[in-house]
Amino acid sequence: DGATILPAPQNFSVRSTNMKHLLMWNPVTQPGETVFYFVQYQGEYESLYMSHIWIPSSQCSPTKGLECDVTDDVTATVPYNFRVMAMLGSQSSAWSNLEHPFNRNATVLTPPRMEVTEHGLHLVVELEDLGPQFEFLVVYWRMEPGAVERVKVVRSGDIPVHLETMDPGVMYCVKAQALVKTIGRHSAFSQPTCVEMQGESLPL
Amino acid sequence: LRRCLVSVDMRLLEKSFQEIRRTLQTKDTFKNVTILSTLENLRSIKPVDVCCVTNNLLTFYRDRVFKDHQETSLEVVRRISRIANSFLHMQKTLEQCVHRQCHCSQEATNATRTIHDNYNQLEVSSAALKSLGELNIFLAWIDRNHQETSAT
Repeated sequence: DGATILPAPQNFSVRSTNMKHLLMWNPVTQPGETVFYFVQYQGEYESLYMSHIWIPSSQCSPTKGLECDVTDDVTATVPYNFRVMAMLGSQSSAWSNLEHPFNRNATVLTPPRMEVTEHGLHLVVELEDLGPQFEFLVVYWRMEPGAVERVKVVRSGDIPVHLETMDPGVMYCVKAQALVKTIGRHSAFSQPTCVEMQGESLPL
Repeated sequence: LRRCLVSVDMRLLEKSFQEIRRTLQTKDTFKNVTILSTLENLRSIKPVDVCCVTNNLLTFYRDRVFKDHQETSLEVVRRISRIANSFLHMQKTLEQCVHRQCHCSQEATNATRTIHDNYNQLEVSSAALKSLGELNIFLAWIDRNHQETSAT
């Protein structure tokens, strides 16, 4: 049958970091030709109640690339099935299916990057913008014996946040972790970053 | 109970619905008929019944509306899929959260039956289309009864 002589894409897998979900596969090569790929998905609802329904992915139906960002397709914390097919003119391959359904609660959460600065007397932190699903837990303390850790929840990255008014000559340290409510998980804490406000500490 | 569905992204659900609302409601030719109106006058429903009504309506959409609806627009299909899968997650979360404390009073059962009766009055694809177009009523119900007041 002339329609299905293309080999199916191999090594079809998903990689997910910080709620960005990327499908990948090996190329199907035809000398001198451009092969296109079609990606489709099924959420758990479709696979349980409407198993004949496969939905073309919003980014890669078709695509020439070997990757597909399905972040906008995976919008619920349920298992999703994916499949990819190669096409060249009227020729199409069989479908390659993801070996295991993907659930976004398996995403890898990395400690957030942050920048800690002093603005005059003020200790300010700016966190990496990881998207609307993320909040951050910021913990900060004075580098001195018996210091108490203080906590602040920051609703979104990319906005400088004032933590505290600093005393001259005192070292302040800050660490942060990313929280994702929709999957009920958080990252590890970042390494602490410490800054000291210039000037002598005031006599007692 | 209010904390049960705190992991549900209501903002995305409401956005997905708003993006298809006009398309759905334009195709709905039975303007003076409603299926979910009873939900609006359920303000008197007791907190103990909220779980039952929510669960019954999630089942209504899961087993009837999403299955009965025929859709040709890919953009609408994608958004309905978002809502259907979010409802599936919501139902699982609710069940795990309340275990077997999802009590159903006669009033809650009657409210659900009324919705099914309204649905049965219409031809099935019209009923499904209207129920999808009235999702805002159900989403508002969930917001009112399941989300913390401070949720953004």
